[in-house]
Amino acid sequence: MSLSSRMIIVLTAVGLISGGFLAGVAKLTKERIAFNIQKEIEEAIVNVIPGTVQNQKLYEEEDLSIYGGQDESGQSIGYAVQSTGIGFQDKITLMFGINVSLTKIIGLAVIDQKETPGLGAKIRDWNAFLQFWENRNATGEIILRKPPAGSLEELSPMEINTITGATISSKKVLEIVNFSLERLRELQKEGRLEGKPDAN
Amino acid sequence: MPTKSIRAEFLKGLWAENPVFRQLLGMCPTLAVTGTVITGLAMGLATTFVLIFSSLVVSLVKKLIPSQVRIASYVVVIASFVTIADQFLKAYFYPISKAMGPYVPLIVVNCIILGRQEAFSSKNSVGRSFIDALGMSSGFVLALLVLSTIREILGAGTFLGSQVMGPWFKPWIIMILPAGAFLTLGILLGIALVIESKTKRD
Repeated sequence: MSLSSRMIIVLTAVGLISGGFLAGVAKLTKERIAFNIQKEIEEAIVNVIPGTVQNQKLYEEEDLSIYGGQDESGQSIGYAVQSTGIGFQDKITLMFGINVSLTKIIGLAVIDQKETPGLGAKIRDWNAFLQFWENRNATGEIILRKPPAGSLEELSPMEINTITGATISSKKVLEIVNFSLERLRELQKEGRLEGKPDAN
Repeated sequence: MPTKSIRAEFLKGLWAENPVFRQLLGMCPTLAVTGTVITGLAMGLATTFVLIFSSLVVSLVKKLIPSQVRIASYVVVIASFVTIADQFLKAYFYPISKAMGPYVPLIVVNCIILGRQEAFSSKNSVGRSFIDALGMSSGFVLALLVLSTIREILGAGTFLGSQVMGPWFKPWIIMILPAGAFLTLGILLGIALVIESKTKRD
């Protein structure tokens, strides 16, 4: 056998064997990975609209998914809005809960972020950042308070404290939320949030 | 080379030819994921898995592969095991996999792994390749553990996520930033060199 045909045969065989092997592994882990991602979203929904027992996806577009949450009696108690936007270095994916009339942000959770460890990554931290998002007035834009107020009580209902040393990350989160809020109001006006629950 | 004892074959990876401290290979994961002990350990174990299985496969099929296409074949073998490790972490250790971001897929280009195939597994028996891979990956895990322990304790005041420093301790944020990785690695390399030169003289 000539050298070049041997080379072709060996490379093809290596590729085929590894491809077949990987297809098998992907099949084994696929369900479990999808389950992990789904579970993460479910947990975030309950986190941002406490009391949710079931939810449906009502709307989806690029970088924005909206879930409707219901309590035990089937009453709509709010929307969970998952939104992705640019952070300091990379994308931030977050989710916030808002009441049905879109006047009050119930809470915020960060799903994915690659901000600077120890500084911008504090957007995941309850004491440093997330606590300020509880019960914010969402009728207008959320504003950043800089320098940060000493306590939660000093903040006006539309303000969020800046994380010291991570102004840009704090600002980016606000931009993502404010942008989604505006989009949410548009969608509600167009009547696209009154789910007919998604078939999925 | 076959004159070396099995014991020596294993031990060389831990110190004399330690991939991080002596060969300076695999610097990218060494610097990038050692901010916390748990990610450092996960990276070490994932690399161990890939290195051991790649070495086994390469030493098994070494005679079948024409030398002109050996690197391409090794890379495919390595990439397959890396993909398996990545899928496994995503399926069973989702939070860790998320914390490591792109660095698990990047094990493919970790020089330690390709380097061992080229320098060792392609010339030695399956058994010896296994011992060599085990030694080298133990050396790598050890290096990542030392580095990540220092960085997590000084940078966050914790070890494996639990508080070890008292309330008086103010975390040195620089230690969990990239600069802290370079500083720690530099100091450790210096210490390794001093120890090496001291033991040589004796």
